[in-house]
Amino acid sequence: MAWLAVLGTTIAAWTLASATLPLPDYFLPPPTAVLAAMTDLIAKGILPAYVAESARRILLAAAFGLLVGVPIGLVLGISRRVADFFYPLLNFFQSVSGIAWLPLMLVWFGFGERTILIAVNYTVLFPVIFNALLGVRSVPRLYVDALRTLGAPRWRIVRDVLLPGALPSIATGMRLGLAYGWRALIAAEMLVGAHGLGFMIFNAQNFHLTARIMLGMGIIGLLWLALDYFLLRPLEESTIARWGLVQR
Amino acid sequence: MSGLARGLRGAAPFAVLVVAWALLTHGGFVSGLFLPPPGDVLRVGWELARDGSLWINIAASLGRVLLGVVVSVPLAVALGVMVGLNRRLAPVVEPIVGFFNALSGIAWLPLAITWFGLGWASVTFIMFNTIFFLVFFNTLVGVRTVPRVFEHAVRTMGGGRRHVILGVLIPGALPSIVTGLRMAIGFGWRALIAAEMIATSTGLGFLIFNAANFHQSDTILVGIITIGLLWLATDRLVLQPLERRTIERSGLVSSAR
Repeated sequence: MAWLAVLGTTIAAWTLASATLPLPDYFLPPPTAVLAAMTDLIAKGILPAYVAESARRILLAAAFGLLVGVPIGLVLGISRRVADFFYPLLNFFQSVSGIAWLPLMLVWFGFGERTILIAVNYTVLFPVIFNALLGVRSVPRLYVDALRTLGAPRWRIVRDVLLPGALPSIATGMRLGLAYGWRALIAAEMLVGAHGLGFMIFNAQNFHLTARIMLGMGIIGLLWLALDYFLLRPLEESTIARWGLVQR
Repeated sequence: MSGLARGLRGAAPFAVLVVAWALLTHGGFVSGLFLPPPGDVLRVGWELARDGSLWINIAASLGRVLLGVVVSVPLAVALGVMVGLNRRLAPVVEPIVGFFNALSGIAWLPLAITWFGLGWASVTFIMFNTIFFLVFFNTLVGVRTVPRVFEHAVRTMGGGRRHVILGVLIPGALPSIVTGLRMAIGFGWRALIAAEMIATSTGLGFLIFNAANFHQSDTILVGIITIGLLWLATDRLVLQPLERRTIERSGLVSSAR
């Protein structure tokens, strides 16, 4: 209830401000204009297409992170010597955001879908690999030794100790990677300009269609919350919460 | 292991990478237009450093991050404590701030340009929105998770509201605030690079994006390496020590592992 009241007050204040402040119309369009922009763009089919485009790209990157990044991180983390070698490299590459590589990728692959996908997948991949590696390394040796003493083969140690022990860290890596990746996607769509929500709000700015910008921002925020709710939270709950590392 | 030996071991992977890069480019497997050899990148880096443009761009980028931090962090901490104190307001504000966190970064750019035009005001606005909401959120959450017992203890011994805030809530929330700050600078730094590509004519983001227009892969690589090194230095010299000092001091993690 309190939440609805705050929302109502915000919308009322916004409407009032946009009606009374002596600003040009494009500066602060009222909430109704945002609503009108939404119905207009849905009717034209632009909004559903752009939402689908951005969602497809980020989900592809999420799948790539899970199916490629996690196994790579696990494999690199198993051997201590290999892990020590790759740690500084991965740390460097995860700290250079994908968007910094974008200019080089534009030279390599041109303005197009390929550049966007590679930039976003890069951004997601490195935090995921890095954290999977960290996770495997942080599993106490004691557990590994315990299983080994009991005569367990190597694959059992990987399956029963290293993988479950690394899961919380993997969940952290996915969250960080996707958070950076989502923002890199929006930025890449602005710079490369091949459809998607980033392109939508950037292009709207050229035409002073501020209502369209605000609409796009709202949807970008909501899509992230949906990604958080349907993908990241379940992932965390099946790992971190189940392992008793956080109590909620 | 001595510091020198550890440094050498940390540098070894990069040496391997550079050797592989040199072999790839000198062996003629990749065109120099796409991936110039390491020597060329080093030379361009040296030239940019000597004519001063590299330093100007570094100073511009770091200055923008610093401006963003100075403008947003004090306000975010103050508001976070104020809202966190109010047990009825806090649960209402939390999801709203959470929404703005979901939006942090580059998504603010078109609105920033609409309101402030191209230039430093737009970039500062984006940095403010990115840093402010993350720190605000973490302060709010931090204040709310401080156990009531400590507050009661201070009250019982005759402490006033001021004592509760300065002696209990801020120190108790500090680890959460520092985590928020670290995240905020991580997101802010990335948003800055993207924003500089579009909205400014200085900074490392501008340097590399402008170089892409002229297909200067060597300049782009100088920029990318600088961006990576600057982040690692910030993390190692500022953020990690800050985190250690606050989190380990409050005994939330043991430093011995």
